[in-house]
Amino acid sequence: MPLTLRFVFLTAAVLACALLSLAIGPRSDVSLANVVQLLLVDDGSLARSAVVDLRLPRTLVAGLIGINLALAGLALQAVTRNPLASESVLGINQGAALGVAIGLVVPALVVVNPGVMAILGAILAGMVTLGIAGGLGGRLDSMRLVLAGVTVGAFSFALVRFTFTLEDNLARTMLTWTAADISAARLDQLLPLVGWALCGLVASMAMAHSFNILALGDGASHGLGVDPRRRRFAGAMLAAILTGASVAAAGPVMFVGLVMPHLCRLWFGPDHRVLVPAVALGGAGLVLAADVISKLVRFPYETPLGIICALIGAPYFLYATLRARSMA
Amino acid sequence: MFIKPLFAALAGALMLATMPAQAIDITHDLGTTTVPDAPQRIVVLEYSFVDSLAAVGVAPVGIADDDRRESIIPTYTAVIGDDWTSVGTRKSPSLEVIASLQPDLIIADTSRHEAIYGALSEIAPTIAFDSLTGTYQTAMDAAQTIADAIGKGPEMAERLKTHAATMEAFKAEIGDVSGWSAQFIIDNGEAIFLHSPVSYNGSLLNWFGFTNNMPTPDGHSYEEAIVQTSLEQLSEINPQIIIRGKYADNALTDSWIGQPVYDAIAAVKAGNVFDVTAHEWSRLRGVLASEKSAADLVEIVKKLKR
Repeated sequence: MPLTLRFVFLTAAVLACALLSLAIGPRSDVSLANVVQLLLVDDGSLARSAVVDLRLPRTLVAGLIGINLALAGLALQAVTRNPLASESVLGINQGAALGVAIGLVVPALVVVNPGVMAILGAILAGMVTLGIAGGLGGRLDSMRLVLAGVTVGAFSFALVRFTFTLEDNLARTMLTWTAADISAARLDQLLPLVGWALCGLVASMAMAHSFNILALGDGASHGLGVDPRRRRFAGAMLAAILTGASVAAAGPVMFVGLVMPHLCRLWFGPDHRVLVPAVALGGAGLVLAADVISKLVRFPYETPLGIICALIGAPYFLYATLRARSMA
Repeated sequence: MFIKPLFAALAGALMLATMPAQAIDITHDLGTTTVPDAPQRIVVLEYSFVDSLAAVGVAPVGIADDDRRESIIPTYTAVIGDDWTSVGTRKSPSLEVIASLQPDLIIADTSRHEAIYGALSEIAPTIAFDSLTGTYQTAMDAAQTIADAIGKGPEMAERLKTHAATMEAFKAEIGDVSGWSAQFIIDNGEAIFLHSPVSYNGSLLNWFGFTNNMPTPDGHSYEEAIVQTSLEQLSEINPQIIIRGKYADNALTDSWIGQPVYDAIAAVKAGNVFDVTAHEWSRLRGVLASEKSAADLVEIVKKLKR
């Protein structure tokens, strides 16, 4: 199948998921039949307001965190040259969650806002994980990398879980947030996410070439005039920032960054210049699909997005682990 | 000589004193437990059990007060004083502190403390009732059983009679509200939580004759009693009265004002959104607590825009 056609298919799938995400919800006056009309024509009805003011921000948040997380996963797999790397496996997701948790429990410690806390947490967790695994010097050991990620992730999430034992109301807020519930997403949450997603996309495109060279190994990189350490650092920072931004907006959504780069590599091949847009689209589609499922599982009540993503991602992680030998 | 009867009386008194006290078997949610006669050192792990003890004038030695002494409201402290020791949070009370109080009875919550029931039972006889997810009726039944366990059964029966009369008087004052759907919600600034018809507050509102537009869940789990709800779902439930408990100054519902879907909700449109003390409504349950809530409801109905 020609590349363009593949992109057309993927885009169509993403749009279909977005449409479903907009059409499904507790209000009975919105359906697949009239959702497009409600979206485009302001007829002053409550159904229109429900679609535009309540569902659209949420659908966009789902799509944007999908883009951010998938791009973060792609960058991490490229810089570590490890197919199991992703923000949740390397503990970056959990580190971001810890940043937000600290901000919620001790408001005095908040630097700027919860979003910055999440990004700081993500960067710190990523640095610790990569540090344990051998640093950016090219001696990254796969086994050590994954084990370090598990350690950092478990430690961070243990601290996050500690908040569940605190006062009821705080615990409930944290619990809702760690399950990545986006049902209260609002328009003002969108702006930073749009900004980060655009930056992420541009930065990833800019780095696509060096990701390709990193895949050849450090010797080849040096030969081609690319400093692998600097590129690794840039890629890891990009991943941490994108993860932090998503976690701050929606809570820790796991596995998107692991699943999407894999699926896209199978369908679009190993060239990162093609992979970046494909992974971004795919990530949006995956989280939008998860959002649709999250609305249907316990209709009319909702199941938090994070739980659905984990239910999709965990079996895939197992599959990827079992196949890792052949992929690596 | 009078020494003989004196001796007999003394011996009798001694026998009485050394005889094991009359223990009774109490059947509760987590089994049947033998409770010593009239326990003196009682530790309670939910606010509603403080309510039950206060209703018959008994002070607990330890309370899981979430490390906030002010969470025991003056209605209770007026009866039980403020000599209790905090045993930590209701969610994870400190077993060590509980043991150090050497209690002779522990009253626990069925769902919250089932996992530590064994450990609690090793410290003292422990009885458990469904406070967290139980209904108004559950709370009344538990109050009677608790009173039986502490040897205050008749006093509680009497108190419950007074309670029934008080509540009927409130009900009469509130009048016929069968045409009104009322919904209690908690707003913590991040999300709203609706107390469903199977929750304590939902059942209390039903007792007064209010209807509820939420679908009645089958079970009694926490998620079925207290349901996190989006604005869109709330607009579908569309209650005529919203009774709101705010745990945050910047309520999420306040941020929704001006949003057409929110403004169109019957209660919002008619101006029938009423604030109550979140702590008292959402955490306190029992004889005294329900009388307080009923008094709030009387005030709310007076202000109701019909």
